[in-house]
Amino acid sequence: MITKINMSKRINTITTVKNQLQVCMLSVKYNIMRGMLNRVTFLTNIIFMMLNNAAFLIQWIILFRLKEDIGGYTLREVMLQWALSASSYGLAHLLFARVFSLSELIINGKLDSYLVQPKNVLLGVMTSATSTSSIGDLLYGLCILCIFCFSFRNLLLFLLFTVTGATILTAYALLMGSFSFWFVRADMVGNNLVSSMVNFSTYPDGIFKGAVKFLLYLIIPTGMSIYLPVHLMVNFDVGQLFIVLGFMFLLLTAAIFTFYRGLRRYSSSNLMNART
Amino acid sequence: MRKYAVIYRSILMENLQYAMNVIMGFITYFMIVFILMQLWNYMYSNPADLIAGYSRQQMIWYVMITETIWFGTRTATVTNQVTADIKGGNIAYLMNKPYHYTLYILTKYTGEWSIRLPIYAVFAAAVGVIMVGRLPDFHIITLLAAIPSVILGITIQGVFKLCISLISFWIEDSNPFQWIYDKLILVIGTIFPVEIFPETLQPLLKLTPIYTVCYGPAKLLVDFQMDKYLEILLAQVLYLGLGILLMFFLYGKGVKKLYVNGG
Repeated sequence: MITKINMSKRINTITTVKNQLQVCMLSVKYNIMRGMLNRVTFLTNIIFMMLNNAAFLIQWIILFRLKEDIGGYTLREVMLQWALSASSYGLAHLLFARVFSLSELIINGKLDSYLVQPKNVLLGVMTSATSTSSIGDLLYGLCILCIFCFSFRNLLLFLLFTVTGATILTAYALLMGSFSFWFVRADMVGNNLVSSMVNFSTYPDGIFKGAVKFLLYLIIPTGMSIYLPVHLMVNFDVGQLFIVLGFMFLLLTAAIFTFYRGLRRYSSSNLMNART
Repeated sequence: MRKYAVIYRSILMENLQYAMNVIMGFITYFMIVFILMQLWNYMYSNPADLIAGYSRQQMIWYVMITETIWFGTRTATVTNQVTADIKGGNIAYLMNKPYHYTLYILTKYTGEWSIRLPIYAVFAAAVGVIMVGRLPDFHIITLLAAIPSVILGITIQGVFKLCISLISFWIEDSNPFQWIYDKLILVIGTIFPVEIFPETLQPLLKLTPIYTVCYGPAKLLVDFQMDKYLEILLAQVLYLGLGILLMFFLYGKGVKKLYVNGG
């Protein structure tokens, strides 16, 4: 009898998770479809974002004309880093763009419409917006990988680290955004730290020394989202892979915990708005 | 002219209220400058080396000055506001006001950078002196002489960004064009002086906004030369004149395409 109850509970949990994920996927799908309403704008956004990223190629070509290796990296490795950085950023902004403006929702008391919906509040908030130009980032990363360092092994590792990188970036933005439940000015500090994480991710870690390196692995986790994965793609090590995965789960758990703790302090601004 | 002076004064007063926001934005500036400092420190493995005629200190100060101009003038007025006005139809209301819409936007932009830029400049100078040391052979007279070039460069930047935003009359979202322009300035203009590029490319770069917006003012502050000063000022005046003509042309053509749907 007890086994039957346990089984039915487990099936219920699986069904709930499945339903939640389905709703999330549908939400992202409709966000993209909304972005595609104007085809010209949609395509221009994607193509120009790819060109925008490609502009940095010029920067690195010039720098490598001056010196053969920069921070222990050759052009191929810098491009690999750029590819991973662009793809992680793209995936995070494609699926969870709203996390990056979470502070605004909290400070302006705009979470009400998410709280009344019969699905997970956090997932509802996270998937409620999509940045269409991020498709360009995602594609750019894959293109760079194919041009500079394609192999089946690299592709598999690249896809894995794109997911871990996007998760770490999203979790970090969620954690920083959630501090707005406690502090009004937290949005400014948080936004600066999240954008710093992105800025640091496009330069080799070899150019940074001492305490800065420590900062980049723990306080601004670019090390865990980009630097270590790039090292792993060059020289694979199972132990380091588990460090990346462990850090990702730890950060994600801390971010989710902080969000729900903060949500208890949330006060509505009584704004009338609806999500359709 | 008096009405634009009134607009300028009111924007200036409004922005003084939000000086704290500018200071908080300095964190991002500091992070980017810090990364570029580390990069150039690495590139100059021997501090006595010269790259394209620039010493390590001059190169880092060059980057800091261009980034200061970039961050000090980064406002949404000439970009997002213009695009939103055109996309949302607010332009139909604004174009009937007793001022020229583009000049109103430029005045607002000037009011905004008049607060932002000095704050950034003071912070940047402090960071530079602490982390890199004093700029070699720098005199206060150099700063005074370079101010017209800095103002012209910033105005050219505003005019060109406004021209790009006016593309919204034809294409709904002009942001992708802004990205490309920004990257041209940021990637090529702020990090490298023109001399670092191959000699065959240098004349071509002198024709782009990079020369008048970033290179000109920064070069004068880092390594002032009278012949360069006159050359840069002349190029800036020509560039600004052409930019303003283009701005009026695009606006004139654009407003003819406007449909007012009422409401």
